[in-house]
Amino acid sequence: MTLVMVVDDDQDLAEMLGIVLTGAGIDVDLVSRGDEVMDVFRNNPPDLVLLDVMLPGLDGVEVCKLIRAESMVPIVMLSAKGDTQDIVAGLEAGADDYMVKPFKHPSELIARIRTRLRRTNADVKGSLTIGDLAIDVTAHEVRRGSKVIALTRLEFDLLVALAKEPGRVFTRDALLSEVWGYRHSTDTRLVNVHVQRLRSKVEHDPEHPTIVMTVRGVGYKAGVVGAS
Amino acid sequence: MRPPRSPLAQSLAAKVILSTVLLSLGVVWLTGSALYSQLSDGIKRVNLESSLADARSVFYNARYQFLLVEGATQPQIRVQVEDVITSSTTLGTTDGAREIILLKIFNKGEAATNGQQVNYSFASNGLLSATLPETLRQEIAKTNDLAHEFAPLTYRTGKTIDALYVGQRVTIPDSGRYEMYLVFTLANQKATLDLVQNSLFLTGIVLLLLIALITWLVVRQVVKPVRDAARVASLFTEGDFSQRLQIESKDEIATLGNAFNEMAASIQAQISRLENLSQVQQRFVSDVSHELRTPLTTLRMASDVIYGQRENFDPVIARSAELLLAQIDRFEKLLQELLEVSRFDAEVAVLEPTDFEFVALVRRCVADFGVNLEAADSQISVIAPKDPVHIRADFRRVERIIRNLVSNALDHSDGKPIEIECVETTTEVAVSVRDHGEGMEESSLTRVFDRFWRADPSRARTRGGTGLGLSIALEDARLHNGELDAWGAPGDGANFVLTLPRIAGNQISGRPLPANPHKRGIASK
Repeated sequence: MTLVMVVDDDQDLAEMLGIVLTGAGIDVDLVSRGDEVMDVFRNNPPDLVLLDVMLPGLDGVEVCKLIRAESMVPIVMLSAKGDTQDIVAGLEAGADDYMVKPFKHPSELIARIRTRLRRTNADVKGSLTIGDLAIDVTAHEVRRGSKVIALTRLEFDLLVALAKEPGRVFTRDALLSEVWGYRHSTDTRLVNVHVQRLRSKVEHDPEHPTIVMTVRGVGYKAGVVGAS
Repeated sequence: MRPPRSPLAQSLAAKVILSTVLLSLGVVWLTGSALYSQLSDGIKRVNLESSLADARSVFYNARYQFLLVEGATQPQIRVQVEDVITSSTTLGTTDGAREIILLKIFNKGEAATNGQQVNYSFASNGLLSATLPETLRQEIAKTNDLAHEFAPLTYRTGKTIDALYVGQRVTIPDSGRYEMYLVFTLANQKATLDLVQNSLFLTGIVLLLLIALITWLVVRQVVKPVRDAARVASLFTEGDFSQRLQIESKDEIATLGNAFNEMAASIQAQISRLENLSQVQQRFVSDVSHELRTPLTTLRMASDVIYGQRENFDPVIARSAELLLAQIDRFEKLLQELLEVSRFDAEVAVLEPTDFEFVALVRRCVADFGVNLEAADSQISVIAPKDPVHIRADFRRVERIIRNLVSNALDHSDGKPIEIECVETTTEVAVSVRDHGEGMEESSLTRVFDRFWRADPSRARTRGGTGLGLSIALEDARLHNGELDAWGAPGDGANFVLTLPRIAGNQISGRPLPANPHKRGIASK
């Protein structure tokens, strides 16, 4: 069974989330305080974390940083505020995706969770190259020479999506649909923030990217193989 | 900005100095003239008196001398006459050049060339006896005393000079009666008067310069604090509310300064109070947002679960579940829009521009309403340029504006066709959404963007519009420096036109699409 850790201080909402997720066949671990997350996380590592931003004890963004420091587990932030700065702060802290309360449909939440749990590039096998990086899709590993670069599952998926079709220019909408599983785009900031995070890990100089190239006014494409 | 004016009108100091100098010039001129005329009168009078006294003594001496030679020989008389002439031109207290004229008087019938009597007529320095004023000659003829007159004096060389003529009749023995004139040239007196005049003139100029300088110094004392106040006030206007005037005295200027400073302090206090209020408002919005959204999320999920089970309920409860979900939808939308409106009111709405393709967004917004644009019988048609139209704007807000316009048109179209048209210029893009529904009265056009305003209160609230959509759309458009215009006529439908700068924040230079679709032909395509 898949285990999702739900971190929310609102007891009723947490219980409701539990009901909905359980109904979808997902096991749920409820945590109501930010400072209790890490203990539970270490004792019973979940497959995904559903994390509220406003938490007693420790702020959701801080919790996100703590989890990222030791795990690449998918994190979906729950925010009651639609304000950009909270969303961007959450994404920059390492969250893969976010949802603004109230959700349009509970089924949307489940769909998002499933997308994050699923391997989005299940069709791709073997190895790929992008720029001077070698991607072993099966082993879920990215190497520059002999050095392994640690990426979150989402960052890995983003890189694979670009690498599997070298030369194709991906619009942000296309990436949202391929990597995040959104049917139509909602927020291109999601792409921007993750491209930035990915670049900071894989590029020699994030200011002058050679792996994830920007196509002005359109989107992104894979860097030329062998270039660095 | 104020219209440009002459430097005189702009500077108080220049104005005061100029008027002071002009007034002083008048005063100096008047006193100078009075002084000059008094001085010159005095000098002339003194001169005249001394000349007359001189002349009197000369004439007295001449008469006495001539009396002494009564009965003497002719050569003796001649010597005496010459002596009188010499002494007359050298004697005297005044330094001024003095001339003498001795003119024999001929009786009637006596010929000028009468050789019986010796004629001692004489004029010093080649003077012309013709220069003698005729009135003076008549004057002496009438009296035994001396008489005088001012008249120009002409030398034989042609040189003319102002002079005082003093004359008296004398008798020379053995010769007869003579007119004797002493002529005092006024060259010295004129030089003195010129000197006085020049001194007065110079003094006047120096005085005026001094007055101008003093005025400037005094005016500066008044103007400097005024200029300081103006500078501080303009800094204050620019938003530096900590600016205060330096007060160094206890005069009226200081009173003005104190008043200004008190006003500044009061404004600063008011503004910081308003800023606090605004912060409180923002926090409140944020708190409401959080506090309302969490229970709403629970509510929503719970109703969704119930709704999902509605087939297992009896019809009344199943219908209730449907209504519950629909109303939660509506409540959620209303909450969202209220929060958006309060963000605009608190002026915390921020533009987040990104680059995107405008026409694709328009098409997708239409498609989101379940309209198939490809279908031949589609209710909505979109006319747009073939090439992509890239703009830089806040995607979320532009999307919201277009959704609102399309939703509004669908609500009021009565099922009739809706035409959407996109155009671009080098500086702006525009999209018009035209329906052919019941339309609007002209009086409604100004109110159509008002919050919670409905064209016809009796109309059913279709599609759950909140009444805030158009109001928010207008705010969204203006946040981009764009505009949203409405047109409508009863029975002729309505037309909404969104005009945006191609790069958010730039100014729009016009309306590529007019609000009134019937004027469409005039605008360029």
